[in-house]
Amino acid sequence: MVIPLKLLTYNFPKAMKRTKTLHVIIIFVFVMGITACGTSLVIQDVDYSQPLESVLTPAADNQIHDQRYAIKFSISPVLQEEGVASADEIRLIRNRAGYYFITAPGFSNVYVFEPDENELKLKNKIEITGDRLGQPAFNQRNTHIELVDRASGQTYNIDQNGRR
Amino acid sequence: MKTLYKTYFSVLTAFLILTCSPVLAQQSDFQIQQDYRTDISELLNRVELAVTAEELEEVESEIDALEQQYSEYSEIINAALYPETFTGMLSNLRGIHQAAYNNLSVIEQLNEQIVVLSTEMDEFRNRLTQMTQETTSLRQQIERGEANEQRQASLIRQYRQNIEQRDSFVAEFLQELLSKYQRMGVGTQQEIAENVDRLDQNPLDMIRTIISEYIQIADQSTGLQTPDYVAMRAQHGYFEGVWSQIDQRLTNTFAPDRPVETRQEISDMLAAWLASVDNKLWDSMSTAFNQNGINLQPFVSSGDFYNSLNTFVDRAYEISLESNNESDYEVFRNFREFWNTTVKASWGEALITGNILTPAQIAAIDLKLNDWGEAAQPTSNLMFILLLISIAVIVLLVVLLIVRKK
Repeated sequence: MVIPLKLLTYNFPKAMKRTKTLHVIIIFVFVMGITACGTSLVIQDVDYSQPLESVLTPAADNQIHDQRYAIKFSISPVLQEEGVASADEIRLIRNRAGYYFITAPGFSNVYVFEPDENELKLKNKIEITGDRLGQPAFNQRNTHIELVDRASGQTYNIDQNGRR
Repeated sequence: MKTLYKTYFSVLTAFLILTCSPVLAQQSDFQIQQDYRTDISELLNRVELAVTAEELEEVESEIDALEQQYSEYSEIINAALYPETFTGMLSNLRGIHQAAYNNLSVIEQLNEQIVVLSTEMDEFRNRLTQMTQETTSLRQQIERGEANEQRQASLIRQYRQNIEQRDSFVAEFLQELLSKYQRMGVGTQQEIAENVDRLDQNPLDMIRTIISEYIQIADQSTGLQTPDYVAMRAQHGYFEGVWSQIDQRLTNTFAPDRPVETRQEISDMLAAWLASVDNKLWDSMSTAFNQNGINLQPFVSSGDFYNSLNTFVDRAYEISLESNNESDYEVFRNFREFWNTTVKASWGEALITGNILTPAQIAAIDLKLNDWGEAAQPTSNLMFILLLISIAVIVLLVVLLIVRKK
């Protein structure tokens, strides 16, 4: 459709100008709404669970690298929080919901982390025992993570919210 | 009583299950898969280090037990081993185990073969040594010439029998070698070749010993006659024939580092043996012909001998054609007698086996002998004389008849 140049340069009356602005706003809101609807695509029931825990040895700079499940981070903040200088091995497992559970021999707690962009945020710090864990190990179970202390023979069922 | 035992066992089983279950529950999945890997690797190690089939049989039952022990954790193990699997690792282990078992079985069979071979070689060596001692003793007794004529003849007979026994013993040994190694597969040859150092004496050593002793016997022989040397040459011919059939296999098996050199070495020894026998044989044959009034041209080889025979028969035939007298016929009869009863009947087989004369050459001489026989047979003058007498009588009667008419 060809719009005559004359019509485009025509000065509309004031009331008509207001209506025009309103129309532009409505169109803008409509377009934004459509765009917003596009990003709200959600996949439900994702299973993030690792079938087996990873047993990782920290490097000299306290970095741990799980090549199998492709995650690498520094364990230093956790050691600091736990109040230990170092750990020979770190036990790491991810549950169905996608939270990472971290502990180590000599720890008293299990740290639950939630992954975010370039970071792991502490979701929960689950106190397991007044004493320290001797030989902890995580097992993946259907509804929870099983923490076994093979030194004491104790078993604890935990999830991201704490002990069950 | 039985019911009591059953109850007892049921209670005990239930107790064990109840007491053990927390222990099972306290296992680490990670540890289970680690243990599985360790156990598999340990069994692999044991398979590699096993030196007997029995050890491998034990390992096999342990593989079965391992499978049973870990089968309930197969899912965890599969997850840990991905992309490998629980059954994949077990199958791999079983495959390696089976291959090792097959190899060990072959090695054990080979060991048995080596032991049997060693025993055979020892037995053969002992028997041969015993024969050599007997031969030497007899030869020395003959050489001393202390015994009377009858005893001396008996010693020579024993000496000859001893050599014949050795020949048949060696022939048996060669036959065994022939049957064992002529059709031996390349794989078995290689396996024996790899283990040949474990043999104190291998068949090649035996062959060297046998040839050396034959050379010694030929060089030192005493009191023997043409048939004995012809038999020796026949034995040489037989030996050489068998050797040519198995020389490659034997040298590749028992002298894998230098098969060509070993073949050459034994060929040289065979040539030396033949030279030693020939040295005595041609003298002895020439003497035997001379002693029977047949003066052949000197000969020092099979070809020479055949040529001498031909020359003799051809000349005699020509003479018979020219003169055709009784003495020529006597020469023919003498030769025919010696040829048929001695050369063909006594030496014939050995002459052929020993590559002195071929059947075709013997047949050719036979043909010439027939021609010679026809030519040598003296023709009778009786008929001619009777004809002359008859003519004379007729002439006489005619003359008498004419005279009476007059």
